[in-house]
Amino acid sequence: MRPTLSTTTLRRLQLPFTLRRNASTTASNPSIYDVVIVGGGPAGLSLASVLRSSAWTKPLKIALIEGMDLTPAREWKPTPDNFSNRVSSLTPGSVAFLQSTGAWDLVKQERVQSYKGMEVWDGVSGSAISFNTALGSTSDIAYMCENNNLTSGLLSHIESLGGIEIRDKTRVESITNGTDDGTLDLTSWPVVTLSSGEKMAARLLVGADGANSPVRTFAEIETRGWDYGRHGVVATLKLEGTGEGEKTAYQRFLPTGPIAMLPMPGPYATLVWSTTPQHAAALKALAPEDFVAAVNAGFRLSHVDVEYIVSNVTKGVVDEFAWREQNTAVDEKRVPAKAVSVQEKSVANFPLKMRHADSYIAERVALIGDAAHSVHPLAGQGLNQGIGDVRSLAKTVEYAVQHGQDIGAVLSLEPYFEEQYFKNHVLIGVVDKLHKLYGTTSAPVVAVRSLGLDAVNALDGLKKFIMDRAASR
Amino acid sequence: MSLHTLRPAVRQLRTLRAVRAHSTHGSSASFDPLEVSHFNALASEWWDPHGSSRLLHLMNPLRLQFLSSCLSKHGDATKNMKYLDVGCGGGILAESLARLKGTESVIGVDPTPEVLKIARGHMRQDPALQRRLRYVGATIDTLEKVLAEEGGRELKEGWEGERTMFDVVTTMEVVEHVPHPTRFLKECMQHVRPGGWVVGSTIARTWTSYLTTKLVAEDILGIVPKGTHDWNKYVNANELDSFFRGQDGWGGKHGEDIVFLGCAYIPGLGWKMVPGGEKVGNYFFGIRRNSE
Ligand SMILES: Cc1cc2nc3c(=O)[nH]c(=O)nc-3n(C[C@H](O)[C@H](O)[C@H](O)COP(=O)(O)OP(=O)(O)OC[C@H]3O[C@@H](n4cnc5c(N)ncnc54)[C@H](O)[C@@H]3O)c2cc1C
Repeated sequence: MRPTLSTTTLRRLQLPFTLRRNASTTASNPSIYDVVIVGGGPAGLSLASVLRSSAWTKPLKIALIEGMDLTPAREWKPTPDNFSNRVSSLTPGSVAFLQSTGAWDLVKQERVQSYKGMEVWDGVSGSAISFNTALGSTSDIAYMCENNNLTSGLLSHIESLGGIEIRDKTRVESITNGTDDGTLDLTSWPVVTLSSGEKMAARLLVGADGANSPVRTFAEIETRGWDYGRHGVVATLKLEGTGEGEKTAYQRFLPTGPIAMLPMPGPYATLVWSTTPQHAAALKALAPEDFVAAVNAGFRLSHVDVEYIVSNVTKGVVDEFAWREQNTAVDEKRVPAKAVSVQEKSVANFPLKMRHADSYIAERVALIGDAAHSVHPLAGQGLNQGIGDVRSLAKTVEYAVQHGQDIGAVLSLEPYFEEQYFKNHVLIGVVDKLHKLYGTTSAPVVAVRSLGLDAVNALDGLKKFIMDRAASR
Repeated sequence: MSLHTLRPAVRQLRTLRAVRAHSTHGSSASFDPLEVSHFNALASEWWDPHGSSRLLHLMNPLRLQFLSSCLSKHGDATKNMKYLDVGCGGGILAESLARLKGTESVIGVDPTPEVLKIARGHMRQDPALQRRLRYVGATIDTLEKVLAEEGGRELKEGWEGERTMFDVVTTMEVVEHVPHPTRFLKECMQHVRPGGWVVGSTIARTWTSYLTTKLVAEDILGIVPKGTHDWNKYVNANELDSFFRGQDGWGGKHGEDIVFLGCAYIPGLGWKMVPGGEKVGNYFFGIRRNSE
């Protein structure tokens, strides 16, 4: 077989002139790219991988810039009894999309946990809503997947496809508009200057650069929203039993926010507990065995007891929980198996925000993922929205290439904005309202909402609708 | 609309008619000074995504879809393609043709200097177009001469009658603006190599098109500047069809390589192909020169 040259080598061989010119006038002449993706998180990596896997967009010259070191993700060799605390729930729709690009095959399947049942209940009234496959759908509701597992799979996929110029450990330091040298007029092109000194002019600059998106700032796109005054406490837990058989996700609405236990492979599970910053700090400060007891309390004790323990008990939560549990009736079918231990260094917390950018597009700019929106984690939708953005943007770019459009022109990008903005807007609104509805102990509201949950539980048609929405089928 | 606002326009029209009567271009197949002066006023609007050319921009993908459906009819190769876009305006179609995978070169021709200035200026914003796209200030009649002057082609003795050949000659929303549509199309056809195509779009002269383009688009909604269309010049598909069928060596043995397809702008949905719509409003046409 003839050895094949990489595209970069070819380009160098063919264009010595360009190289020389670059060498002498680096400062004023940026290299020209079709797509520059800022951000190597799940959104940015997914986009790079899908653009390289379509025959239409494959010829585009693409660079991806990530401030952090991607080596740990590239060389990720996890052990079976250790799970990262940053886990996302992926809907079947997201997984199907990742399968269609080929990236999902490179995600370690033995570390992905699907679940078919969902138990959700009101921590004040006890009203329950259970979602399970008995409703007639046999498919999974969602898949729990570590962010590391996804990003490492995406990176392997990108590297197996080749052709993406990845610059990691490299920050975008500034973004300006290009200049007009009399021949080429790059005044509408964003030029990114990297910490390495390299300059790249982008036909399309994609902001996959997270909640504080520098690309969004450059495009002067406003973002609106508020902080919930809540933190998400995450941790990897080991539960009682072997963890075999079908899995269920549990979520209980407490007045301070929902507490969720999401299944991972074997006896493991991941915790997402949204609560006040004070509670979050208190929980994080607990000794491991006390933390485990506090989590068990969160699912099993009355909301008043939970509040008391988390606010006042800094030591001896184990005994406090054991004593109060005796006096509390618990429906074992409805709550997750008890946690027995917490993985070392896995307890972390982060502030919860609701943000939505006014637009996802500007001339030669598109925003995806958290750069465009952040949502309360209670519906497990954050990453799925990002993957939805990637799917839609990639489709939009492909259409533009097929029809000879400039992929950076606002006109070419409009379909992406139109498709995703409203969808995300509705979802963000629903999640936000759920958060507010369940964030209260006010008796009339509790009465009405538990009526709501019971009624939803009774109406299988409506429930199926909600489930289908949750799983984006 | 009051008479007052109409009057200056009428005066301008008379003056221009007089100029045209004495002009040497008077006999040109494609140059109508009134149209040219009007387009000058529009030039700056060509590339504003929310300006008056928005509808044309939105229609552009359909033009390419129609073109590729013509080319795929005979499985014609789409590699190393050479295009001539007649009446290219600000370059909406010409730029997109130049970006297509199989394109070798595109020449856009337009007689209006201001519009070409816009086209050339916009082209400089895209490095991918630099070696593939070229604009020439000419009409289809003067193209050959201007190409020779600009050094685009080498001419032997007695070059008149020789033509630069293209795989496809496109002409979008032009035939309804020229004084002699069939003469104009014949000129275009002289530049097509055997097995190549003339592909264009225009609008039928019907009550519907009067209502939608003149009354609604220009007068009521104002989404298209007033005076853009002269309804009397609209060309019906059956008129084009009988013209095409009369052309020797074109359109296949039985007119099977003459294609018409309607399209319509549907608010909320955008432009859609509407088979049969050629009898009503906007439509595409394509005719293939028989292979030798
Ligand atoms: C601490 C924390 C914990 C979370 N935990 C959960 C969870 O348990 N479950 C869940 O579903 N969701 C969680 N989320 C949300 C989830 O992580 C995000 O929705 C998801 O990561 C968004 O992906 P993204 O690719 O859009 O952005 P990000 O993952 O934020 O990626 C943005 C990337 O851009 C890079 N970047 C930014 N600026 C620059 C620059 N100037 N130059 C170069 N690179 C730059 C950053 O280094 C980063 O890698 C959490 C978020 C945070 C912050």
